[in-house]
Amino acid sequence: MSDPSFADLTRDELIARLHAMENEARRRAEAEAQSSKTLLAALQELKDVKAALDHHSIVAITDAHGKITHVNDKFCAISKYSRDELLGRDHRIINSGYHSKQFFRDFWGTITSGRVWRGEIRNRAKDGSLYWVDTTIFPRLGADGRPTQYVAIRTDITERKADEAELQQFAADLAEKNKELETIVYTVSHDLRSPLVNVQGFGKQLTRACERIRDAAAAAGPGGSIPVAEVKTAVETTIPQALRFINAGVNKMEMLLAGLLRYSRLGRIELSIQPLDIDALVADVLAAMKFQLDEAGAVVEVGPLPDCMADRPQTNQVFANLVDNAIKYRSPGKPLRLRITGSVQDGQSIYAVQDNGIGIAPAHQAKAFEIFHRLNPDATHGEGLGLTIAQRVLERQKGRIWVESREGEGSTFYFALPSVEQTHHS
Amino acid sequence: MNQEPTILIVDDDEGHAILVRENLEAAGLNNRIEHFRDGQAVLDFFFGKAGTPAFRAEQVYLVLLDIRMPKVDGIEVLRRLKADPELRKLPVIMLTTTDDAREVERCHQLGCSVYIQKPVDYDRFAEAIRRLGLFVTLLLVPPVKGS
Repeated sequence: MSDPSFADLTRDELIARLHAMENEARRRAEAEAQSSKTLLAALQELKDVKAALDHHSIVAITDAHGKITHVNDKFCAISKYSRDELLGRDHRIINSGYHSKQFFRDFWGTITSGRVWRGEIRNRAKDGSLYWVDTTIFPRLGADGRPTQYVAIRTDITERKADEAELQQFAADLAEKNKELETIVYTVSHDLRSPLVNVQGFGKQLTRACERIRDAAAAAGPGGSIPVAEVKTAVETTIPQALRFINAGVNKMEMLLAGLLRYSRLGRIELSIQPLDIDALVADVLAAMKFQLDEAGAVVEVGPLPDCMADRPQTNQVFANLVDNAIKYRSPGKPLRLRITGSVQDGQSIYAVQDNGIGIAPAHQAKAFEIFHRLNPDATHGEGLGLTIAQRVLERQKGRIWVESREGEGSTFYFALPSVEQTHHS
Repeated sequence: MNQEPTILIVDDDEGHAILVRENLEAAGLNNRIEHFRDGQAVLDFFFGKAGTPAFRAEQVYLVLLDIRMPKVDGIEVLRRLKADPELRKLPVIMLTTTDDAREVERCHQLGCSVYIQKPVDYDRFAEAIRRLGLFVTLLLVPPVKGS
């Protein structure tokens, strides 16, 4: 209204001027309405994106000092802390102690200099459980270019980490199995060569003895008589000895091959893992071996045995092999005392088969489970497979076997299989 | 004065022991030969079952050692012998059916004197033992306990 020329205007001019002002005001109002509509739409979009983010990710915002100023529901859910417990604290509250000091120094170095940090962090929830998060930290910078806030967006990768660890375990197990197989091939090739040396060597002696007899026959005196001295050693000593070693060698090779076949078939037998009543199973095993046990004058004592999750025929085999060993390696001087007991520890049913036999010296215990290894080949029959088979059978069922023994006092073979309770809980 | 070593054949296979002995004798060796059926037996000989060894300190010995044996294997026997301040002087010749490179390496690391494979082919077996016999006649072996 300060226009000085206003008073000089004609009426028409005044009206035109008013119209112009009116139009201008309307135009402005419309523009304002339009821009606030745009603003509202942008705001709505931002809200939706944030909602989407909150649905997918674990989000936290901290101030420049790392104090938590915002957490979303997913953060609370995975950390098991309430929002009130988290706000105002820093991330040390969920530190699991897994990462090194250097790890966090690098982390802070990156974000305080305004760069984005990306990595995997293991955290500890309020209840002590551990979880892994794939983490991106985005620093928001002020006008001076220094961070004013850090926005942390995380994804739960606990399961993936567990899978990775399991995969690594599988790889390690596989490598272990491969080494075991190599050992077996090595052992078997040696064990097969040994009898071959005898078959060849004594075969040659047989040939030579035959040559001597032939030579003597060719030089036979009048009436076809051969001097006894010429053939006596060959017929009485060399030939029977050679035949004995050749036969023993051939039998040994046959036994080794049969044993190897039996061992290799173990891996192909279909397992049916189910809850087993071990009290009944052991009673069956002992009944089937009653004759040998009676012959050894055995006193058998069986404690209450926990059930376990395993394959029936294979578990039967393990008990049978252990009882058979106890009979085989009993002390010559005293009657066999056999005790079979069991307990449950850490989700595993552990069975002990204890004897009062000759025992195994500490130096020999490691070899006890080796394929075709026999503690006392002269005194006992067998192919050296009982414990190897027991071990293989148990490993296939997530079990294991070990021995405690004192020479001259007896051995206790222990083996563990998953207990029934453990399997139901997991 | 050079003393003829007593040869200790440590082999669980009686047939092998006989073949080795016969071929050593065929090579002209007339050393005393003793046979041990497994690693424990020869450890007992050297270390004694109850602390009193059976070997004679002034005697010289040469050990022919198989590897895979019941109770205690040849590697362990070698390890024990070479860990003993006196017995480590004994020449130990590994005489075994395997020629696995790792096994050869391990035995030499532990200090065996010679590693020989028992060939399966008998002519080669006999030849190997004959040469071993000739080799043994050339050896100067110290007694376990120096005079």
